[in-house]
Amino acid sequence: MRAATAAYGMFGLALSALLAVVPLLVSGYYLALGISVLSYTVLATSWALFSGPTRYISLATAAFFGIGAYTAAILGEKLPWPLVLAVAALIGIAVALVVGLSTLRLSGIYFVIFTFGLTELVRQLVTWYEVNIHGSVGRYIFVDVTQPVIYWYLLALAALVFLAGWLIGRSRLGLALRVIGDDEGVAGHCGIDITRAKLTVFSLSAVFMTVTGAIMAPRWTYIDPAISFNAFTSFQTLIMALFGGATRLFGPLLGVVPLVVLFELLGAHFPNYFSILLGVVFMVIVYLLPQGVAGLFTRGPPRLRTVGIGARLAERIGRVFDRPQASPPPVAAADGEAVPEILATRGLRKAFGGLVAVDNLELSVRKGEILGLIGPNGSGKTTVLNLISGAYRADAGEIRFRGQRIEALKPHRIAQLGVARTFQLVRVLGSMTCVENVIAGLAFRSPAVWGGRAEQMARALVDRVGLGARAGMPADELTYVDQKRLELARALAMQPELLLLDEWLAGLNPAELNDGIALVRSLRNDGLSIVVVEHVMDAIRSLCDRCVVMNAGCKIAQGPPAVVLADREVVRAYLGDADA
Amino acid sequence: MPGTLRNTLAVAAAIAALGTAPAVFGQQAPTAIKIGWAISKTGPYVGGASITTLPAYQVWVKDVNAAGGIMLKSLGKKLPVQVTEYDDRSNSDEMIKGIERLATQDKVDFILPPWGTAFNLAAGPILNRYGYPHLAVTATTDRAPELAKRWPNSFWFLGTSTQGAHALVDVLTKLRTEGKIGSNIALISVADQFGIELATAGRAAFKKAKFNLAYDKSYPLGLQDMQPILTEAMRSNADVFVAFSYPPDTFAITAQARLLNYNPKIFYTAVGTAFPVFKQKFGASIEGQMGIGGINPQSQEFKDYLKRHAETTGGSEPDRWANPVTYASLQILQQAIERVGRIDRAAVIKEIQTGSFDTIVGKVKLQNNLRVDGWQVGQWQGGEYYGLYPENLPGAHKILFPKPAWTK
Amino acid sequence: MLPGLILGGMYALVAMGLTLQYGVARIMNLSYGEFLVAAALATFFLYTGLGVSPLLGLLIAVPAAYVLNWAIYQLLLVPLVRRAKNRDMLEVDSILATFGMLFVVQGLAHVLVGGQYYSYSYLSIPLSILGSTVALNRLIALLFAALIGLALYFALTRTRAGMAIRAVAVDPVSAGLVAIDVRRASAFAFALGGALVAAAGVLVSVFLTLNASMGVVFTTKALIVVIMGGVGNLLGALLAGLVLGLAETAVARLIDPGLTLAANFALFLIVLLWRPTGLFGGAAR
Repeated sequence: MRAATAAYGMFGLALSALLAVVPLLVSGYYLALGISVLSYTVLATSWALFSGPTRYISLATAAFFGIGAYTAAILGEKLPWPLVLAVAALIGIAVALVVGLSTLRLSGIYFVIFTFGLTELVRQLVTWYEVNIHGSVGRYIFVDVTQPVIYWYLLALAALVFLAGWLIGRSRLGLALRVIGDDEGVAGHCGIDITRAKLTVFSLSAVFMTVTGAIMAPRWTYIDPAISFNAFTSFQTLIMALFGGATRLFGPLLGVVPLVVLFELLGAHFPNYFSILLGVVFMVIVYLLPQGVAGLFTRGPPRLRTVGIGARLAERIGRVFDRPQASPPPVAAADGEAVPEILATRGLRKAFGGLVAVDNLELSVRKGEILGLIGPNGSGKTTVLNLISGAYRADAGEIRFRGQRIEALKPHRIAQLGVARTFQLVRVLGSMTCVENVIAGLAFRSPAVWGGRAEQMARALVDRVGLGARAGMPADELTYVDQKRLELARALAMQPELLLLDEWLAGLNPAELNDGIALVRSLRNDGLSIVVVEHVMDAIRSLCDRCVVMNAGCKIAQGPPAVVLADREVVRAYLGDADA
Repeated sequence: MPGTLRNTLAVAAAIAALGTAPAVFGQQAPTAIKIGWAISKTGPYVGGASITTLPAYQVWVKDVNAAGGIMLKSLGKKLPVQVTEYDDRSNSDEMIKGIERLATQDKVDFILPPWGTAFNLAAGPILNRYGYPHLAVTATTDRAPELAKRWPNSFWFLGTSTQGAHALVDVLTKLRTEGKIGSNIALISVADQFGIELATAGRAAFKKAKFNLAYDKSYPLGLQDMQPILTEAMRSNADVFVAFSYPPDTFAITAQARLLNYNPKIFYTAVGTAFPVFKQKFGASIEGQMGIGGINPQSQEFKDYLKRHAETTGGSEPDRWANPVTYASLQILQQAIERVGRIDRAAVIKEIQTGSFDTIVGKVKLQNNLRVDGWQVGQWQGGEYYGLYPENLPGAHKILFPKPAWTK
Repeated sequence: MLPGLILGGMYALVAMGLTLQYGVARIMNLSYGEFLVAAALATFFLYTGLGVSPLLGLLIAVPAAYVLNWAIYQLLLVPLVRRAKNRDMLEVDSILATFGMLFVVQGLAHVLVGGQYYSYSYLSIPLSILGSTVALNRLIALLFAALIGLALYFALTRTRAGMAIRAVAVDPVSAGLVAIDVRRASAFAFALGGALVAAAGVLVSVFLTLNASMGVVFTTKALIVVIMGGVGNLLGALLAGLVLGLAETAVARLIDPGLTLAANFALFLIVLLWRPTGLFGGAAR
């Protein structure tokens, strides 16, 4: 692997050197073609840096590109050229941060069209500004930047994009993006600071787009908002990246080169039927190459690499997630209590519209115990877990974990403090292998584990839940039961002090159930505190030290399982009045 | 897998096609004069390009070849014109690439410019670098004199924005002196380079001539609902309404003004007013509407051109502003080539700079690479779009004043 | 007020078809606007060439578009639906495929009618209502939009087929479980969406100046309206269209005509920031 990486590196260097001499050999049209290929390579690759792994399809490319072009137009004759590019990059970052922050809540098609609308808004505002303040819409850029220089700048930028993408791909940041792409909810509970991960890479990709715009501007001499903020740029970038394969670093390149050549051939030979042929070719490609061009050479999603060349640099990139952390206070027993509390809620309340799912709930979990949280369907159990883990924000009340209030914290902060969970409907990271799933649990906890050690620990955990034989299998190919095991392994990787299991034992056959019960018990013996939400009464009886029974959002009983399960009110809640 | 094979074939074909550039028979005598253009055949600019520019190119090529070609004295014979054309897809970068391809790959003898102010400005430096004459017709900018200095190979045929604005102001000033209109003007303009330059120049000229802008707003390109703006303009009670507008808005403004029965004494719209489809849509109701450009419909050359235009384009008419001028610019190119007698672009450029030419829009003699005596203000009268100003041009028509009421 | 309503009605009209195509059939149709322009240009030639009135043209264009779009769905889109493992994949595939379709349709239009502007006058008669003057043709377009919208609304809420379509819009998997033929419902929705966009094309052709390249303008508008209203929600699309129209007119009159389009986009962005799944949207994705 190491040798292969080195070979790739050498190949990359050699290729760059080879490409760098192109302007000395050709000029005019071929150089123009080269500039076209390079500019779209940078755009499509940097687009895929963010949109490939996260699957957030952005149409803001033209906005950043245009901002870069305008920066060059305004400052081109006032500042030295490299400084112009630097200013463009800074403006790109600033805009990307604003856009990134405002789109955090959006996903799917809403994100797509938002970014599109944003580009149009920027264009309209720039136009209005130019008309009313500057008094002219178009601007001339008479800077002395020749075509070969533009080419070289773009080549250097392309090399930088690939280097950045390569490093991110093997850093925790890259893993974080893939986890977000697979399941954003899981990402938070793995301890990933989603905002930070998305913003970092979105801004980085925006910088590359902005600088591309700035570099390309002098090529046109004259720019106006219609030229610089051309929505077609966004679409073409997206199409090229998707066509090549957006989940691989070199995928977009495999889309850019053939498509640029194709556009040229069609445009040159069939100027009058260009559109029709382009459309037809396009559709043929979509039907014949569903995985993109990159899919021809490789199968399945890319595999995670945590060691090898660049690992140290990549490790540094991953530190974007680390924050100085005060060591938590030791858990001390309150007066008159034998065992200290690890979690306590007071007055907890959550309502969805008119439905009060959790009402004034008092709950405490002692260190090293298994607490059963039971009650009929819809009684609010899962909502309680969602409140503790931070997936929902409580309407009122407080949650203390190890004495620290956590009800206002985001999921990733709570996860890093030592609360891990599984989900009622199993949620594994389908595109990743078992080991990678578990590494996702290791890489963002506090303190984080990465590199070779992470792989070792992940393997050990995969073994512990009995998936050793399927360690390298993609998670979405596992059976339902195996996915549950994997989910537990991922939660354990977080090294939690409190584990929240949401119907983790449901759907197991008797033999599997016995194994499962033994596993959970062994975790308690290791010192974990566990809250189980469960309907399997046998499991509750044999596992739980205490039970809390909920009905309609309220606690109706608590105590040892044998006692509460015999309680008349509990029976009535489960079975109705007739059986009570 | 069929996809693999197909893909490989496509790439192979691409490389082959790029590699086998047309062989150059440098030493042999040319058999044709190669002309190339990259123009918007798709995308937002196609509306302008396919009315004003492309048909003029096509008619010219047909005319030249029907006459046996362009006479080259050095060869002692006429050479036909052979065309290479690309679609710039209304994309600036594609247009530049297309021109570079024409210049360095196809090695054409002459390149005809793209459509639109922005694209002509963007094409300027490359055409200059490769030493091609640049016949910028569909470009109206105040920087034309400066650009003509920067790029001595560029020729500007429609005058500057200031010229256009001043012409209108002159027409209005005369009417005011005659006591026919007051001093109030309602002005709207499209937020595009062309509209803004005209509005800026117009504002200065109006102010200098002591006109008062009772309403003055710009609107974004692509706006479809003009009613609020027109209502405001109407409320200003100005005798004169001026819209420095682009084709789709010109149509919308006219339709909605007619609807609101907004009938100022002078009703002026810019680009699109001289389009044949404009007359087709509005029929007799645009009687007295003024606009940019104009022609002398009485001229026999123009009448003949109308006929040839219809024959070549399947019955469509040229617009009454830049289309005939585009054709005229090609006549100038042809005459310059014939006077030089060989394909020598530097000499042709020199000839265009200094020579005097006979065209369908009359005699043309450029001053500092600028054509200064074109029609600036026109008016629809009896179903034809007459040039009104400059008044000293042959065929200048008398103004129809005031604008008659809209017909229902 | 009235001009704003009329403009907004036009936006809603343009967007209704996409609500069905995207909201129900899950096809992110980027060639949407091209079909609108194609119908508008066809109307132009029917009217100027053969003297067929645009309202009569509706009777020709709408069924033709229904059949055409049904065929497109069955021939071109079903393979994509079949191979898509999840909604994301179908979204990406349909974006790519309809992007190709956009070029094909636009290219055909260019070959057939060239790139010039087309415009004609039909029922351009001023009417004075509530103190503002409006064109009869625009008013008719608005009335038709309202009629079509109402008919569609009742069809969706009161009929069995409509129920099936709404079920597919909410959850295709569960809809399949309750014995709804999801493929048939989707094909129907896509074709109906196509018929609606053709109707929109015919109606806007009476008062807009168009050329063969302008489809993308309408696709954009429709996308904005659909997303702002909430995917798959007809009432949302209607409301979003009206709000955008009113805002545009108000800004033009009160603030600055130069900012109308900016205001439109800003409004759209603000709505999404406030409600990340649109005015009436359910859960995202």
